Amino acid sequence: MFAIENLRKTFVAPGNVVVNAVDGINLGIGDGKLITLLGPSGCGKTTTLRCLAGLERPEAGRIVIAGQTVCDTARGIFVPPSDRGIGMVFQSYAIWPHMTVFENVAFPLRVARDRKYSAADVKEKVLRALEMVRMSGYETRPATQLSGGQQQRLAFARGLVREPQILLLDEPLSNLDAKLREQMRVELKLLQKRLAITTVYVTHDQSEALALSDEIVVFNFGKIIQRGTPQEIYRQPKSQFVADFIGSANFLKGKVKDVRAAERVAVVETRHGSFGCIFGQMVSPGQDVLVSARPEDFVLSDKPPGEGLNAITGKILHRVFLGEVVDYLVDAGDGEIRIRSKPEAEFQVGQAVHLGVSPQKCVALPS
Amino acid sequence: MTLAAPMESNSNGGALARAFAALIRPRNLALIACVLIAGWLVFVPLAALFYTAFTEDTGFGPGPASLSNFVQAYSSWHIVRLFGNSLIFAAGTAVLTLLMGGFVAFVVERTDAPLGPLFHSLALLSFAIPGLLTAMAWIFVLSPNIGWVNALMKNWFGLSEGPFSIYSMGGMIWALASHYFPLAYLALGPALRVLDVRLEEAALVSGARYWQVMPKITLPLLRPAILSTMLLLFMLGMSSYEVPRLIGRPARIDVFTTEIQAATQNAPPEFGISSALGMTLLLICVVAVIFYRRATRNAEAFATITGKGYMPTRIKLRKWRWPVAIGVLFMFLLALGLPLLTLVWQSFFRNLAQPFIGSGSPATWENYEFILRYPIFLDAVKTSVSLAAMAATIVVALTFVMAWIALRAAPKSGWLLDSIAFTPIAMPHVIVGAAILFAYLMLPIPVYNTIWILLIAYVTLYLPYGMRFTSGGLTQIHKELEEVAEVSGARMRQIFFRILLPLLAPVLLAAWIYIFVLAVRELGASVFLVGPGTHVLGTISLTMWEEGGSYGAVSALGVIQIIPLIMIVAGLRWLELRVQRRSEAAAAKAQAAGQ
Repeated sequence: MFAIENLRKTFVAPGNVVVNAVDGINLGIGDGKLITLLGPSGCGKTTTLRCLAGLERPEAGRIVIAGQTVCDTARGIFVPPSDRGIGMVFQSYAIWPHMTVFENVAFPLRVARDRKYSAADVKEKVLRALEMVRMSGYETRPATQLSGGQQQRLAFARGLVREPQILLLDEPLSNLDAKLREQMRVELKLLQKRLAITTVYVTHDQSEALALSDEIVVFNFGKIIQRGTPQEIYRQPKSQFVADFIGSANFLKGKVKDVRAAERVAVVETRHGSFGCIFGQMVSPGQDVLVSARPEDFVLSDKPPGEGLNAITGKILHRVFLGEVVDYLVDAGDGEIRIRSKPEAEFQVGQAVHLGVSPQKCVALPS
Repeated sequence: MTLAAPMESNSNGGALARAFAALIRPRNLALIACVLIAGWLVFVPLAALFYTAFTEDTGFGPGPASLSNFVQAYSSWHIVRLFGNSLIFAAGTAVLTLLMGGFVAFVVERTDAPLGPLFHSLALLSFAIPGLLTAMAWIFVLSPNIGWVNALMKNWFGLSEGPFSIYSMGGMIWALASHYFPLAYLALGPALRVLDVRLEEAALVSGARYWQVMPKITLPLLRPAILSTMLLLFMLGMSSYEVPRLIGRPARIDVFTTEIQAATQNAPPEFGISSALGMTLLLICVVAVIFYRRATRNAEAFATITGKGYMPTRIKLRKWRWPVAIGVLFMFLLALGLPLLTLVWQSFFRNLAQPFIGSGSPATWENYEFILRYPIFLDAVKTSVSLAAMAATIVVALTFVMAWIALRAAPKSGWLLDSIAFTPIAMPHVIVGAAILFAYLMLPIPVYNTIWILLIAYVTLYLPYGMRFTSGGLTQIHKELEEVAEVSGARMRQIFFRILLPLLAPVLLAAWIYIFVLAVRELGASVFLVGPGTHVLGTISLTMWEEGGSYGAVSALGVIQIIPLIMIVAGLRWLELRVQRRSEAAAAKAQAAGQ
């Protein structure tokens, strides 16, 4: 549906420091998919999206949307945003306060140049778009008299009314409160599936990315760090950055003893003994690695864990009751391990405990 | 989409062709046009002023380079007096104005005294009153010969001489301060309003006594605001022309502005000396502006440390609430009401009429009838109103585009447009008047002795005001509102007319009215630029006063100007309040919708 080649964009930060906001990105995705650009602030995800929209002019690179080259710096091609046939929803919603709900949605049709819409066409399309986001009946409301969630829906209706080939979303849920955000997340996913519209979603919220995406692209320092399905990104991070940024992870130092490449399994010698691990990025015997394991993957017990699990012993340092789960901080001798467990079994601070974690849940990362 | 085709350059055209293509992009062309127009308006007159100052004054225009003008202008003892008078006048005005305005600001913003909104509206209304007319009115009130307050004092206390004289340094300072103190209130008010009381409360909790909080916490926090207001007022005092012309000249208290103008009126006109004196005035104002901008930057830095969600706690005056409010009201009445009412009173009598003393003849409308049939007056109204309307329109349109380019299209070159537009802030009206006069006498552009030279002057003078309004308004509009329109398929023109213009309309209208009012009452630059065939309201009022029109006719001329101006400013205030109330109501409804 779209392809980005060698995209490069620099900014001059205060003090004349040149920042590589986007540093040679290559990216593409097929029809009807939702792809998320995920990363900390300043990682280049928003700049990439804005280049795709035409709101930024890249220094170098080529962008093709639906078969049309919209940007090619080598050939001096730059199609302005108005002619790219895209829909976009901004973080601030950017609802025009001087228009009614109807006029906000109708605007893209009224300024359209590729075809003329009759008044009846406009009305039909606007009402359909509003219905799609469950905002029917609000047409005559001034846009200033909408709640945050309603503005959000309105912004989607406006983005979709032209039936764009591609929908760009710049942190659209980040201004909503937590409960509404979860509700909108579900609605957004259903809408996107129903319309089967190719969508690029920018966020710094990893749980949003995991919940919504067909594919996640993790950015840092203007580069793509890893790309994959939510499961791949979560289960098989290829670097400490990805493991740490998506979810939370414990890291144990170790050295690779043995690698069984066919099964993509490695044995890592740690301070707690030999650990069975999987790996995303190839490792070789003798290499220093970090073993990453998620807090919720540990089994906490007063007895040693069963055969086949990686085992650690330690002492409970701290306990936080969170309702549906209990968080523990365990002193494992060479560092602290965070554990998230069900509240059934209670452990007290100071108690000696055994931790077990499946090798399938331990990832060896190059350190 | 075929629209990409014209954008494609012939591939191997090279960097030069691409640079040229970038240059002729519409937004870059607009940028260049704005820089050229604004740059011309600001720098051509300045260049002419410098050229005139540093060349020999031959009587037929500037001759070879020479410092003779400076030798002539600065070699007599007179210059020391000029310096002294100007500095004392400006500094004295700044201090007195600050004290008066600071008191009002404190009462309105930090106490629970009633009538705050009234004082705010009165302060805004004071913009409508031309400085020339306040000076004139104060003469009617406090002149040793004709001032009615002096006459009243003589009657009451059996004095042989009136106790006050407007024709003194003190009188000049009072006349200007009484006109500018609302401005000091408006400048200090926001600083007092955003001052976080918790910073004061923290001092109290830390063990400070009430009397220690003011000097140790409050005043230091307000220092940048006080300093910047002082500098602004000092600059206004330095550039003031009306009060020195009407009060200072008869009293032989000369300041730079009056001397610069007087030199051009000598026979033969001494343009060289005028511009040589102008250099000093310009230098003083430039230095003051530099310090002013530094002080306001500090003020912003201080403002950022105040917390969010701040709840104003006001000093409880208890039984002093009304006495304090009445005190402030009395100040407004004394400073603005007294001269205005005197002017209105006088306008109903042909000869000198002193309130409470007697007039010798019955009240009459004849002065108004005379003025309304006076051909020069009608001519001046037409000229002033159309000039002010044109100037306001041009300034608002030009600065709208400039602000948009500076903030949106080419933020990297924004500082350039900003500095050009703000340069006239440092140029007193007499400097702009003189410089434009010299420039267009030298240039082969035939605007001298037409209204167009006045239009050029007004546009130049009010460029900074327009820029402040438009760029302030534009920063309030989230950039994404434009971007989403662009992504929705709108062209530049459509974004301008369908999004920006409707959103900015209230700001642009306010800017237009504000500039219109200022331009109608302009005098300092106009005195240089009116010719035998052109009259504006300011200059005909001055001429009528100085060339012996009857007291009644002059007063009627003043009142006729003030009333529409006050109505316009009151209309603007009403509009502002309405917009404010409507947005508050909308915000409240949106909040209700969210629940």
